[in-house]
Amino acid sequence: MEEAENVSAKSSQAAETAQAPTDTRNTGPGRLLIAVYAIFAISATARAGYQILTKFSEAPLAYLLSAFAAVVYVVATVSLAKPGRTAFKISLVAVLVELVGVLVVGALSVFDAVNFPHETVWSLFGRGYGFIPLLLPILGLIWLYRRRPAASV
Amino acid sequence: MDAYFYIILVVGLLSTIICAVAGILKKAPNDTTILSVAAVELSLLVYLVGSIVRVASGEQIAGEPWEFWGYLLTALILPIGAVYWSILERTRWSNFVLAAVGVTALVMAARMNQIWY
Repeated sequence: MEEAENVSAKSSQAAETAQAPTDTRNTGPGRLLIAVYAIFAISATARAGYQILTKFSEAPLAYLLSAFAAVVYVVATVSLAKPGRTAFKISLVAVLVELVGVLVVGALSVFDAVNFPHETVWSLFGRGYGFIPLLLPILGLIWLYRRRPAASV
Repeated sequence: MDAYFYIILVVGLLSTIICAVAGILKKAPNDTTILSVAAVELSLLVYLVGSIVRVASGEQIAGEPWEFWGYLLTALILPIGAVYWSILERTRWSNFVLAAVGVTALVMAARMNQIWY
């Protein structure tokens, strides 16, 4: 156990000094981040699918927003798990869109409760999900920054 | 909230605490943490079997039945996926992945209870 920990500690130090040759983000804390993104991708997709299939006409805007959020989570999960620069850029865009989404939808649901009465993942800054939707893009950006590809290449 | 929920509440919280503590202690996933997640899976299976028996004996689900079964089947896949994901790279962070299973399972069990009653 301790040996394994030492090995991983050494390899992570090596990765930082040699700047990870494979350019991945699916390692260390990144694995936890991806796992949480995956849970949100699944739950948001299931929820949006359910809302659209059963009661779409009640609140088309809110449910389309739910579906959009689901797509963002799926894209973020997949691109974070993949190595390479293209995946990095896709992750960055997805996480930024997610941050803007949760802030805008969160604010709208607070100030314009009449037009946004129906729940989405991002309503009230993700209160229904323990504010994790608000926390996740911030942690995502920190992780992407720490794991950004080298400037040259 | 029925007994199934409380079983998952207790097992899920215990599993989350065990895995989170192991992660904080910088341990890689080991028998203890993986078995605690297996216990969550087992309690979900008990919920599954119990629910099948209840429906077969004529009990009605108050909410949408397929929403209930969707939640239950998704919850059953979670521990397996988390263990798979965590043993691909055995570091302390994988224990935090395992820790996420317990809380997620109990939140989903709470929702399943709401749908049922």
